[in-house]
Amino acid sequence: MAISETSLKDVLLFTFDEINKAGGVLGKQLQLIIVDDEGKGDKGVAAIEKLATVDKVDVLIGGIASGVALAQVPTMKKYQIVTVATGAAASTTVEKALGPSPDSDWYFHLHPWDYNQGQSYADGWDAIQKKYPAIKINRIFLAYEEGAFGKSSFDASKAIFGTRYQFDGASFKSALQGGSDYSAVLEAAKEFKPDLFLWAGYAQDALPLLEQSKAMKFSPPVYLGAPPAWPADMSKSPLAENVMLYGMWAQSINDISAASKKFYDAYVKAVGTAPTSYFAALSYSAVYIVADGIKRAGGTDKAKLIAALEATKYASPLGETITFSPSNIIKHQGIRNQKILQWQNGRQEVIWPFEVQSKPIVYPFPAW
Amino acid sequence: MAVKRSTILWAAVVAAAVVLILLWKPTVLVYGVQRAGLYAAVAIPMALVLGIVHIVNLAHGELMMVAAYLAYFVANRLLGLDPFVAMVPVALVMAAFGWLIYKATIKHALKAPELNQLILTFGLAIAFSQIANLAFTSQSFKLSLSYVSASATIGDVSFGVFDFVYVAVAVLLAVGLRLFLQRTRMGKAALAVGQNPRGAAIVGINVDRTYGIIFSIAVGLMGIVGSLFLTKQAIFPGVGGPYTMKSFCLVAMAGVGNIVGVLYCSLALGLSEAVINGIRGYAGWSNIVFFAIIIATILVRSYRERKR
Repeated sequence: MAISETSLKDVLLFTFDEINKAGGVLGKQLQLIIVDDEGKGDKGVAAIEKLATVDKVDVLIGGIASGVALAQVPTMKKYQIVTVATGAAASTTVEKALGPSPDSDWYFHLHPWDYNQGQSYADGWDAIQKKYPAIKINRIFLAYEEGAFGKSSFDASKAIFGTRYQFDGASFKSALQGGSDYSAVLEAAKEFKPDLFLWAGYAQDALPLLEQSKAMKFSPPVYLGAPPAWPADMSKSPLAENVMLYGMWAQSINDISAASKKFYDAYVKAVGTAPTSYFAALSYSAVYIVADGIKRAGGTDKAKLIAALEATKYASPLGETITFSPSNIIKHQGIRNQKILQWQNGRQEVIWPFEVQSKPIVYPFPAW
Repeated sequence: MAVKRSTILWAAVVAAAVVLILLWKPTVLVYGVQRAGLYAAVAIPMALVLGIVHIVNLAHGELMMVAAYLAYFVANRLLGLDPFVAMVPVALVMAAFGWLIYKATIKHALKAPELNQLILTFGLAIAFSQIANLAFTSQSFKLSLSYVSASATIGDVSFGVFDFVYVAVAVLLAVGLRLFLQRTRMGKAALAVGQNPRGAAIVGINVDRTYGIIFSIAVGLMGIVGSLFLTKQAIFPGVGGPYTMKSFCLVAMAGVGNIVGVLYCSLALGLSEAVINGIRGYAGWSNIVFFAIIIATILVRSYRERKR
């Protein structure tokens, strides 16, 4: 098996260890081969080539960045190894490149596509405004990184929010790509006077963006971030307080989900710190889904494994049961919903869906 | 003293550009100058190495990354030092590291073809970023420092002022290096070695030692720049790469070894990037403009030199 992204290395190691210590799968130990794509397309392609031709893996697991996934798709299509993808939300590029069934039936996409996420956010904000009448959202501004992930997020958000809200946005160069200045995008946002300011970038942008917002005295009523992961030091920063975020997992879900608690305890025991990204829970789920699929398929025969994965019903630590069904293009889409969370006292609290809410929303975002 | 006509013309063009920017969006000027400060502070040590040792150090940005990690993990996490305090020990450690790199690698490639030198420093860059990746993973780290959000308000416009530190450091580096090269015995020897290594050796200057010291000083300065970079930016193994490219372009634009020229070129590029970013919908063009200006400058210079 294989995984990209070093940040998820630890969770993969302990999940494999957990399964192997419990007797493995069908009496055999699972073998994990890790290759880090370093968030770069060329490295991601080389990783797939190596895993397919040198290591001859049965299943590929992993991925975060849409740009890397887009670069990998042609190589993945060449080898058609059963893949459980934990990242890549860009539908206009990655999903389109994968193409429809049956040519992409080897691909199981766990992470929601951008349009799934957009719909989920729209539903969430409708529900929040209904429950809390003081919260009024009419104007939304999206600051997005200029790569595939950001552009795709903008297009999907505009399609969903643009008809119901006054919607505007501007791009910025992510720190991941060598950017260091958010002043232009923040000035554009400040001029727009949004009720909800959302940024779609990477972990490297989180704190610098907040610091620059503070310096420019930009404090919209809702300050919301949607990076795939947060920096390790985010919870320690006072600037994080009451910042909202989209995500699939937070430590607060432990309070209502035994599966989440089991995952969290195992993670902390193995890694020594709390997970900084929902991708940890997603990767943990991916390994268990694959292990369960192999068990039910009676081995790694490709056709049998695909059929077994199609029948997945996994009670995940994300607070929901994962199954696969068709999306707009591909046949095997897993999760469709995101959660709306908020940093409160250094912890991510679930605000919506209300059935898993751990703390009420703090509104408005305090002025600097 | 008569002032050249071309100088007056350039001064007028710059003044007109500044006035236009101020009338359009005053903050563009602020952010352009701040951005220029960062670019110049990172590029000046590269200009020093290229001017004296005559080697293009493609591991330049990665050395800044190493310094930033050192400032984060050893100086801040372990010793609790603020990056502004940490920059002194980090600079010293980096200078020693620079000496080691010079003796172990650069020294042996100085007489080799330029392509070999490029491959060597490119290899060092890959090695540094991969070691950082193995040791710290691709997880990003960022200090939370309240002073980086310091701001000023003029009328109804608020803007960050911390980044002017980059401008101050860039000017200090440029002036300090100029004084060092022109006023000290070591600096004069370095200039002599940079201009004519064989001649310098004939008059008794230890060329190898001079190269080693200059390379070591440049890497030490990257210790200061890396610590400073940590105050405002998130660090991760790939953070240095883009700055190697930008520094190299600035140094090429300014002319080999022209440290003060790096300041002017950084200002031109920082301002043009800020102007492009200030136009809604054209932020993605800033890189194109960056390289277009560099290409144009190099072409104009080579045309002028051919005319002479």
